[in-house]
Amino acid sequence: MLESVLIFSVLALALGLILGYAAIKFKVVGNPVVDQIDSILPQTQCGQCDFAGCRPYAEAIAKGEAQINQCPPGGQEGVDALAELLGVETLPLNEEFGENKTDHVVYVDEQVCIGCTLCIQACPVDAFVGSSKVMTTVIADECTGCDLCIPVCPVDCIHIEELPTTLSNYVPNLQEVGRG
Amino acid sequence: MIAAFNSTSQIMRQVIVALILGIGAAYTFFGWGIIVQIVLAVLVAIVVEAGFLKIRKHPIKPSIADGSAVLTGFLLAISIPSIAPWWVIVVGVSFAIIFGKQLYGGLGNNPFNPAMLGYAFLLISYPLQMTTWAGEFVNFSQALDVIFNLNPVDALSGATRLDDVKTQLALGKMMSELNAHSNAQAWINMGFLLGGLYLLARRVIFWHIPSAFLLGIAVSAFLLSIGGSEYYLPVQNHLMLGGTMLGAFFIATDPVTASTTPKGRLIYGFLMGVLVVVIRSFGGYPDGVAFAVLLMNIMVPLIDYYTQPKVFGK
Amino acid sequence: MASYTFKGGIHIPNPYPVKEPEVRQVAPPEQAVLLLQQRVGGEASPCVKIGDRVLTGQVIAKTTSKYPTHVHASVSGVISAIEKRPIPHPSGIEAMCIVIDSDGKDEWIEIEKCDKDFSRCTPEKVIQRIREAGIVGMGGAGFPTHAKISNAQGTHTLIVNATECEPGIMCDDALMQHYPREVIRGAEVLMHACGAKKAIIAIEDDKQEACNSLLMYNFNDQIDVVQIPTKYTSGAEKLLIKTLLDIEIPAGEFASDHGVLCQNIGTVKAIYDAVIDNKPLISRIVTVTGSAVQEPRNYEARLGTSFAAVVAQSNPNNNPHHIRMGGMMMGIDVPNVEHSICKITNCIFVNNVIPAPEVQSCIRCGQCNTVCPVGLLPQQLFWYAKSENTDRAMDYNLGACIECRCCDVVCPSHIPLAQYFFFAKALHHKRTVDQQRTDMARERFEFKEFRIERNKKERAEMMAKKKEELKKKMAQDKTQKDKIAQAAARVKNKESSER
Repeated sequence: MLESVLIFSVLALALGLILGYAAIKFKVVGNPVVDQIDSILPQTQCGQCDFAGCRPYAEAIAKGEAQINQCPPGGQEGVDALAELLGVETLPLNEEFGENKTDHVVYVDEQVCIGCTLCIQACPVDAFVGSSKVMTTVIADECTGCDLCIPVCPVDCIHIEELPTTLSNYVPNLQEVGRG
Repeated sequence: MIAAFNSTSQIMRQVIVALILGIGAAYTFFGWGIIVQIVLAVLVAIVVEAGFLKIRKHPIKPSIADGSAVLTGFLLAISIPSIAPWWVIVVGVSFAIIFGKQLYGGLGNNPFNPAMLGYAFLLISYPLQMTTWAGEFVNFSQALDVIFNLNPVDALSGATRLDDVKTQLALGKMMSELNAHSNAQAWINMGFLLGGLYLLARRVIFWHIPSAFLLGIAVSAFLLSIGGSEYYLPVQNHLMLGGTMLGAFFIATDPVTASTTPKGRLIYGFLMGVLVVVIRSFGGYPDGVAFAVLLMNIMVPLIDYYTQPKVFGK
Repeated sequence: MASYTFKGGIHIPNPYPVKEPEVRQVAPPEQAVLLLQQRVGGEASPCVKIGDRVLTGQVIAKTTSKYPTHVHASVSGVISAIEKRPIPHPSGIEAMCIVIDSDGKDEWIEIEKCDKDFSRCTPEKVIQRIREAGIVGMGGAGFPTHAKISNAQGTHTLIVNATECEPGIMCDDALMQHYPREVIRGAEVLMHACGAKKAIIAIEDDKQEACNSLLMYNFNDQIDVVQIPTKYTSGAEKLLIKTLLDIEIPAGEFASDHGVLCQNIGTVKAIYDAVIDNKPLISRIVTVTGSAVQEPRNYEARLGTSFAAVVAQSNPNNNPHHIRMGGMMMGIDVPNVEHSICKITNCIFVNNVIPAPEVQSCIRCGQCNTVCPVGLLPQQLFWYAKSENTDRAMDYNLGACIECRCCDVVCPSHIPLAQYFFFAKALHHKRTVDQQRTDMARERFEFKEFRIERNKKERAEMMAKKKEELKKKMAQDKTQKDKIAQAAARVKNKESSER
């Protein structure tokens, strides 16, 4: 009887030491989950999720303060990817935060622009080129389609341009492929 | 456009056709029992599959028409004793179709061979019924009587040759002392062997798995018999008794659950053969084909991953 | 000559054999619709406007980018439209085309008779001539020839791909029998342009007459005419190089990395026309065949001719048709015969509509694994493509798939495997591009935050500095004021003491 108590105590001590060592040696600095969530989010920085940007939303998800289905630009695909990352059930995209619109960019109607620079300040990724009292234009390659610039323009000269399907971005429909 | 060389239903049909010789041999020695079991099994298989497809809201006709449920019924009916009560095959086939196929998503998605899964379930749950084999020819009315428990029947059962040898060895007898018994099982195996060769010739199955399986059996049996030929069955007995040929050509070659790469198939078949001999010689059950198949089914993803063929240029 | 072989591939008998592959000349069309979209690279820009009169062979669209080539008028006439029209591609998208209404005269532009001895021109000049003639790979891939040759300086072996491995197509067969001299000469031009000292013309062994025809006209001992075993996908560039030279080129590398240049024989003839006769690429040989035409035949037609014009000459029946541009294996289905012949149209298949076989579940039979010529596991790729798991599919070398459809043909469940792979590749490409854009957006956002912080900090520092200076100034002022006050006090004192 004494032997078994002794053996188990020694075992517990040994295992405890190993676990403690592992906890210190393999400690992960920072919270990698936040980085992983952030790498899935589309970086539109549009704020439709009710947070100040993609990173704050990622942090909120990691803390459990937000649901995973609040990001319209990420679409259902994004929600599913987050669910898989976090090991939880996937949810349908919550349309209350916005619709998942198709890929698009914006452009400035140069005849109407007055050079107020409000759009430049609004754009989270600095996709505008322009200055005060000088005509502004959008760098289409940098535009993420977040649409934050459209409401701030006082003369309503920013419009949406749908990205066309070209030979290089065409993806066939999986359901149609399966029908043969 | 060019039509494919084969279609899934054609493949299944060919396999069923190839079973006929072996079934015929079984009938010759043991009578109508096997026919009744097959009919029962096929009916239950179709009904259960159709029922489950309805629950899954899947189109019924194409899935039944591909013949895979019918084939499962055939294989299970051939594997169990021909005089087993009717509920044995009903429960077995239902289990095989539901738990071995439909719950995984239907044809093509199951990791385990459904017929063997059903057989293993039956063997473990109803050991008495699953080891009571017919000892002599059973005519049609006798078959109905014993299967459906209609009239009391005189003792019809007897042990299979494999069973018999194993029991006798366990009792301490030596191989050389065993009395000669009917070689019905050998003839049945021969029937399935010929059926299997037919399938090979028609290119419905490929040579990798059957040859590796038989080689595996032969090599392990040979090694054992060197070790102690008085205590272990000789090679030719392992090859011609029990479910060897049925396993080699009809069960192990089930494409859905077997390995898919050529090298992988050789390993899969060989290890399965070794397992069969090990279970037969050292295990508690008389025949090891079912368990060997299920164990190797588990190994398939691992085998496939490590035997990928060389990609062009790499 | 010993030839090696590659694993996989399948033997498909020619479904519509012809006794003799003749080439019938098709009259220049009444209206030519010319595509500006090249397979690789962007579109050429029109250098004419609606209403202009153009001559046959005149440049109507130019480009200065690296890959695209010029586009030439294939008939003389008036430009009647420059607009978007549907192009033969599974997506059904539209692209810019130039439409010329022919004046029936077929008047050519002035062709300067060039220096016929191309060997006195530098390779660069020859390549420039090839580019200006608008030549692209005519075997179906459409890769700009000038770019391919430019990248292949330092080639040791030129391979002329005359295998025509897709069953049913016979345009290359006819080309070899009707223009053997031009083909040999074109090969010599190519050898000069890329620096190769040796050339191999590879023909499948079911085309004996074509082989004899070339042998009769080949007097150059640097050029070998070689027969290879007939097998589908023997004509794929990398597999052909393996068959002839036993060199395996992995996905991601090019033949030019290994000192080999491979060109289709139709391209070689076009090179002859361009360099020796200074004629731009404005016509090609097209095979019309299929279960719905009673007279399968080759036609030499101007680019821009509608499919309907050539198909009509092969006597199609009245049933509903299923049209395919290209071969029966690697071609593209098109909805009707209103498309026009472009540089890569080697064949038009016109088949009676038959109900497509129903797609069943995959039973993992592994037949697809045995026929894949590139050594892939189509079955695994299928499972991953279906579940949109493109990362795992790429791990299993989806990028090396040549979409030859050997796996489609042998699948007993009639699964359209190659279409799944096309889908998975497109999805992977889209995800890669999207990921790059997302990463860029993140960087720009983080920089913007940093920039705003930095501006704030700089402003704060500047304000703090200003405050310091003001304080100092104020302090100095105070000292000044004190001195003045003291001086004033001293003066007052002095005044009062003097009284």
